[in-house]
Amino acid sequence: MVFLQIYGTLRMMLGGRESVELPCYEGDTVGSLLERFQAEERIAVTHKLIDDRRMLHTGTIILLNRRNILHLDKLETPVRDGDVLALFPPGAGG
Amino acid sequence: MGNGWHGKVLRVNLTDKSCTVEPLNMEWAAAFIGGRGLASKYLTSEVDATVDPFSSENKMILATGPLTGTYGAANGRYMVVTKSPLTGTIACSNSGGYFPCELKYAGYDLVIIEGKAESPVYLKIKNGEAELADAGHLWGKTTAETEDAIRAEFHGDAKVACIGPAGESLVRYACIVNDKHRAAGRSGVGAVMGSKNLKAVAVRGTGGVATADNAAFRAAARDTLKMLRQHPVTSEGLPALGTAVLVNIINQSGALPTRNSQCGTFDKAEEISGERLAQTFLKRNKGCMGCVIACGRVTRLADPRFSGAGEGPEYETLWSLGAACGVSDLAAIVHANYLCDEYGMDTITMGSTVACAMELYERGLLGDADTGMPLKFGDADAMVRLVEMTGKGEGFGVRAGLGSYRLAESCGAPELSMSVKKQEFPAYDGRAIQGMGLEYATSNRGACHVRGYLVSPEILGVPEKLDPEAVAGKAVWAKAFQDVTAVVDSAGVCLFTTFGIGIPQVTRLFNAATGFGYSDEQMMEIGDRIYTLERLFNLKAGIDPSQDTLPKRILEEPLPDGPLKGAVSHLPEMLSEYYDVRGWEKGIPTAAKVKSLGLA
Ligand code: SF4
Repeated sequence: MVFLQIYGTLRMMLGGRESVELPCYEGDTVGSLLERFQAEERIAVTHKLIDDRRMLHTGTIILLNRRNILHLDKLETPVRDGDVLALFPPGAGG
Repeated sequence: MGNGWHGKVLRVNLTDKSCTVEPLNMEWAAAFIGGRGLASKYLTSEVDATVDPFSSENKMILATGPLTGTYGAANGRYMVVTKSPLTGTIACSNSGGYFPCELKYAGYDLVIIEGKAESPVYLKIKNGEAELADAGHLWGKTTAETEDAIRAEFHGDAKVACIGPAGESLVRYACIVNDKHRAAGRSGVGAVMGSKNLKAVAVRGTGGVATADNAAFRAAARDTLKMLRQHPVTSEGLPALGTAVLVNIINQSGALPTRNSQCGTFDKAEEISGERLAQTFLKRNKGCMGCVIACGRVTRLADPRFSGAGEGPEYETLWSLGAACGVSDLAAIVHANYLCDEYGMDTITMGSTVACAMELYERGLLGDADTGMPLKFGDADAMVRLVEMTGKGEGFGVRAGLGSYRLAESCGAPELSMSVKKQEFPAYDGRAIQGMGLEYATSNRGACHVRGYLVSPEILGVPEKLDPEAVAGKAVWAKAFQDVTAVVDSAGVCLFTTFGIGIPQVTRLFNAATGFGYSDEQMMEIGDRIYTLERLFNLKAGIDPSQDTLPKRILEEPLPDGPLKGAVSHLPEMLSEYYDVRGWEKGIPTAAKVKSLGLA
């Protein structure tokens, strides 16, 4: 299983749900997990994080076990059983 | 005048009760823009850097920028520039709301306040007319009470900036609150106002701001607004959850200073997060005048212990009164935030001072005889009580009103103050975000996040993602962010626009408003000039480069938790590179640099 933690406007879209568990298979990546997430939810969610060219929006933060995937292999970063994926749509402050 | 500036300075001498109008020095306006830059030029030219901040020789300048009150971005900002009683450095505090535009519409670019009134007064400004009025009946009132009373007696539509009881009793981090909930928050500008016996500035202004090239300004404004409406951060992230969305982001990144920076993560962060605030006390979002982003939060408390309504808390406050103190009681944090607004205190320094006091207490350096109550991390009631005591100037609150550095120093442990130049950190750990550590160390008003917000590239990935652990190159980024911020603050634009626009858009708006033809490079040079000018004042004030440092905890104690467990700040490596990039020799601007910026 992979544990998805949901934050920001994504959480608001999903009625306040804080986390979701998804099965994880050999060869899974952050990108494939996001597609599975969207398929399970049956509503469009990934557009909050990535654009239609499968590029992360400026300001999207996806942490795999608390490491930003932009410093790993981005959407191609491999995901393994037990991993925690935190999803933050673009947000900011000061 | 018709070009962004009105060309008028209002000079108010509180000692002889005079209000006079003089022409704005346009040579200085061309070199320093307005707002922070121009007010700093006036202050550094008129005030000896060594004066006691509470003496009548210190001045305070309320400054709008050439873009304040125009449409086109988020242009409702003003600055307060003075010498800080918290840090001894130059202070520049920034606020939005409606007061800044009203001040501009009343016909002045700057209001210079000098001297000291014999008894409490307030300043009334109405469309180019100014006079001082007795404020004896307002002394002791909270900020909201003061605003209501002034509106009732002066003008129902007046906009008011005032101090609360904390400013009157010279709490060193007292702020100036305008429109009841917006604040020129940091560095104790409200205490300087209190030391001058000036309770409030009330303004009624119905004029406008003329721009030099209306068609060019309209086109620039249209394009800027389009960018802000399209950028995911300014169009959706900030309006939906405000700054509070950062609690979970920064906590997950291991950079949320917890229990006086003893850790970098807070296990109860979710309970004080923006998401939780949205589910509980948030009513709606709200903007400063004319702002399309509208990041403000209108909240109402519904809790058996507390009641009330107001605005906020912002991210910084959720952290300072929350994680910094180990407190996860959201209602108590919201309540304490309202108290800070009412008494007129900077929530960042207030919370950090409570956190420091808690560590001093837990280490036995403060006892019940000092504090009058147990003061342990996680105790929400104690946090609220200490905020109240500080605002009222009661008991141990008097010592807390000195800020964490002076408090910790009086206990023989100044290293337990999480501050730079005696001003407390905001909500980011310099061990987990290396560039922010450099930024704190080199900020001209002591530790500060809005002098060069490197969190944006290092954590948020805006405009591009940098590695927060990396050291190389951070000096170049720090200088660039500091200079951009100086320009934005001087123009009268909200810094939050820079998540969605950059210097090219600010330059275009500025040129269209003023009729100038500056390049982006010239604007950046102005930023460098302003930053260096502030630095020169600080050096004259006796703040030497040895103070460009961080507390021992950040430099030597490895982060004990989170994804960056084991990290310390690599400040020394970054600092020498930073000085090189600035053209400063061992922290002192070289003669050649000073000359090249026209500051000789
Ligand atoms: S972005 Fe927020 S702080 Fe800035 S002007 Fe708009 S509402 Fe005010």
